Amino acid sequence: MKRRAIAFSGVAVASLVAIGAFAQQQGSGAPVDGVTFLGEPVTADELTLGQELYAANCASCHGANLEGQPDWKRRLESGRMPAPPHDETGHTWHHADGQLFTITKLGVGGVVPGYESDMPAFEGVLTDEEIRAVLAYIKSTWPDRQRAFQSDVTANDEDGS
Amino acid sequence: MPGPSYPALTRRSFLLSSGTAVGVLALPKVLHGAEPVKPAVVALAFDGDVLLAAGSDLMRSDDGGSSWTALPVPAAVLALATHPERPGRIIAGLASGGIAFSNDEGRTWEARSHDLPEGEIAAVTVAAGQPEMIYAAVRGDGLWKSEDAGRSWSLAMDRPWLDEVERDLLTLASVDLATGMGGIWIYAGTEMGLTRVPDCFCRWQDVQPGNAMDALVSGDAPPSEAPLPAGQPIHALASAPSAPETLYAALPSGVWTSRDGGVVWSHLADGFASAVAVHPRNPDHIVAALDGGLKQSRDGGDTWSALAAI
Ligand code: HEC
Repeated sequence: MKRRAIAFSGVAVASLVAIGAFAQQQGSGAPVDGVTFLGEPVTADELTLGQELYAANCASCHGANLEGQPDWKRRLESGRMPAPPHDETGHTWHHADGQLFTITKLGVGGVVPGYESDMPAFEGVLTDEEIRAVLAYIKSTWPDRQRAFQSDVTANDEDGS
Repeated sequence: MPGPSYPALTRRSFLLSSGTAVGVLALPKVLHGAEPVKPAVVALAFDGDVLLAAGSDLMRSDDGGSSWTALPVPAAVLALATHPERPGRIIAGLASGGIAFSNDEGRTWEARSHDLPEGEIAAVTVAAGQPEMIYAAVRGDGLWKSEDAGRSWSLAMDRPWLDEVERDLLTLASVDLATGMGGIWIYAGTEMGLTRVPDCFCRWQDVQPGNAMDALVSGDAPPSEAPLPAGQPIHALASAPSAPETLYAALPSGVWTSRDGGVVWSHLADGFASAVAVHPRNPDHIVAALDGGLKQSRDGGDTWSALAAI
């Protein structure tokens, strides 16, 4: 893919000139400052794709503005939990990139064996690249504090600790 | 109910105590009838070396459980929490609802219940690494948290769902073991056994070996688990502050311990256990309420001796 090829070449130069918001609006294969996924840079094109995929696949439950379902801390009649926000008011930013990926691909049961939830597994619905894009988009919306926290969690996770 | 402000001993401690101690301390508070009905102790805690026990009154002992003084709490206490970095601070969950808070070893109390819903407070705990962070379980409601030592509260999490029913939390313990989610665990006992939630409150989950990430990687049932007996209520849980992987639990079948953060449990003492607490510095020093009396062990539960009854 052209987008990825550009992303992996000239990363240093590109990151100097890329400005996230601008790049996101214009569409660009340049890496976006401050957003990575599993340590790899993320391009503005990926964020645009991620935003579209989010609207099409996630927003129905997690909210068009990532606000989650109403009263999301209270269990549903079924005993399951509502969809939490993906913005800084939720807890998505406590999970390492690898966990977010697994939850999206396999459902919450992928990280908590035997756990029952309404979160669908997107394996076979979205490709790995699409999952990466949608999660990168979610990450790109977080304020600095949440982004820094989640980046530490991801770094520790990759250490295998 | 407000506790009396005088030292009180039961008939049993009367008999166990030396003559001089009895002369100074004994007041025949429960001395009616040959077999006084001892109210079960429902919560125990250490404030440093001071031992706190909540039954029909909240009592403190400054001499390792030989003599007891009642503290003037505003209502019956169901739950107690202290923190090694806040000596003299006692947080009490009340049967009437709300939190009573003392910063002076229990001499004076104030309500710290703003925003908390009605309902008895069955459990409280202080976050291991954050002495101003308090968690409280409101019966029939859920798990609440306060980041400012109880001055304000917000809902953290609904109650856990175990065996197809939402279960009340009977006990809480902040366990200083990493979740892999940038924080530590809160363990909880329910009428249907043990559960835990990361302090980001993502979801209640069973205790599994390793952190959440290890569970992901292994993907299948982990080996060598020895859970607590199924279907028994967990009346109390304690994590040793100086060795957080060491846990103690009080169940109808007795006192149990785990040395690995709750994966493998072994039985320590027979009897109906209603409360257990562990010393802040010595993980082998525990006190348990067993069959209505208090017992102490200084070797992690291998040997036990009776304390003066309250
Ligand atoms: C049918 C509703 C639904 C859809 C659609 C949905 N989710 Fe979820 N999601 C949930 C629910 C419900 C949970 C909470 C599960 C639980 O904890 O019980 C959840 C949880 C999550 C979590 C874990 C959050 C945390 O902090 O624990 C992630 C990550 C997530 N979803 C990502 C996504 C992504 C990405 C999409 C779109 C590709 C998506 N979800 C689409 C319902 C949905």
